[in-house]
Amino acid sequence: MSRAQRAEQQNDSDWSLLERVVQKDESALAALYDRYSGLVFAEATRILRDSGAAEEVLQDLFYQVWRTAEKFDPARGSLPGWLLVAARNRSISRLRRRSSRDDEELTENSVVLPCSLETTAAQNQLLGRVKTILSGMPDGQREAIELAYFEGMTHSEIAEHLATPLGTVKTRIRSAVEILKQALA
Amino acid sequence: MTNVHPIRAEEFELFALGAFPSEERASIQAHIDSCPECAQKLAEASGRIALLSLAAPEQNPPAVVKQRLLEKVRAEKSSTIAPARIRETRPSAPWWNTIWAPAAVALAVATVFLWISDRGLDQQLEQIRQTTQAYQEQTQHAQALVNVLAAQDTVTVKLDATPAMPKAWGYVKYNPRMGMMCYTADLPEPPPDKVYQMWAVPMTGNPVSAGVFMPAAAHNGQMPMAKVPTGMDCKWFCVTVEPKGGRSAPTGPKVLVGTL
Repeated sequence: MSRAQRAEQQNDSDWSLLERVVQKDESALAALYDRYSGLVFAEATRILRDSGAAEEVLQDLFYQVWRTAEKFDPARGSLPGWLLVAARNRSISRLRRRSSRDDEELTENSVVLPCSLETTAAQNQLLGRVKTILSGMPDGQREAIELAYFEGMTHSEIAEHLATPLGTVKTRIRSAVEILKQALA
Repeated sequence: MTNVHPIRAEEFELFALGAFPSEERASIQAHIDSCPECAQKLAEASGRIALLSLAAPEQNPPAVVKQRLLEKVRAEKSSTIAPARIRETRPSAPWWNTIWAPAAVALAVATVFLWISDRGLDQQLEQIRQTTQAYQEQTQHAQALVNVLAAQDTVTVKLDATPAMPKAWGYVKYNPRMGMMCYTADLPEPPPDKVYQMWAVPMTGNPVSAGVFMPAAAHNGQMPMAKVPTGMDCKWFCVTVEPKGGRSAPTGPKVLVGTL
């Protein structure tokens, strides 16, 4: 793809690219892939700690976007939100050998992101912001919420893993969530 | 659909994180599937939680993944349009056409027929899915209600009228061990843009909302239920009149009050 084409696709909204995917325009799928594959792959790799398995999750997700783009309703949520949540669900299912629902619909689990991730600049800015929020948390809080998010652990599993009372774990996660919520408000 | 939301506003992020036990999760999900207000709150909370993924170390996938994806997509596309291409390149033969043309028409008619049937079946399936979901939600509600009502340690608290509504009455069934309560109240229709809101009030600390509701007649016989924190030392219950959607703390006049 030429630099000019890439720049042009940076300006296309997710919605207009999805509309073209519905028309079976593979260059639009490639543009969406270029835009979000890094985020999805990083998340899946962090969860699975296996780049091969993360590649499968990534490819399956974008192939599903290709097959079922017409079902996506932009009024109910954002595409990157859905991609991040679906990547997490599928990766954790694989990690914990749960039965995986790789056919989850683009209409399910609507996710509204508090900000746009459509440009690389926006992604970089938010990436820095989230890392700052997490690094500002006390170690115990950060550790607990990362175990919940990236390992899919329940409160009890985290308590056992960290040899910490269950009540403390619950409090830490609630506090961490509250910090995140306020910082992103 | 019940007017009582089984999840508090501040808990949507925890739900999105997957922190709820699976049995509780299923009943909350059933409610969210049929409650647009909660579905919207969950969508927003899921978005905030999803941003935690940005804490993962940055990684770019190998180029071969994109290549494989696009090859798969192209293979699908070419298999879809292959018949048209074959027809374009094949030399025409008059006697062949006499066979292929009617066959193509018949195939097209069959395809349209199957497509219409398929759509009809999809619609029927969707209707069945929605009906099943509604029944499932009602069953879960009824089961939870039976569990609370049948438990030995469930207590009944009579709600007395206040001068604001002297003819009103109601009662609460409360099980502190299960952290569940259900209630009924005989109240007149609230003023426009207002609802009734039930509160559980501990000995110390702030009142906890047990949901907003409309008068008993509007429930079609379904008692509202609410979850309250287990271990909460509830001493009083009261109903106030609040703006639509309810409030996080009581602001309106009390119309019913009961003491444990």
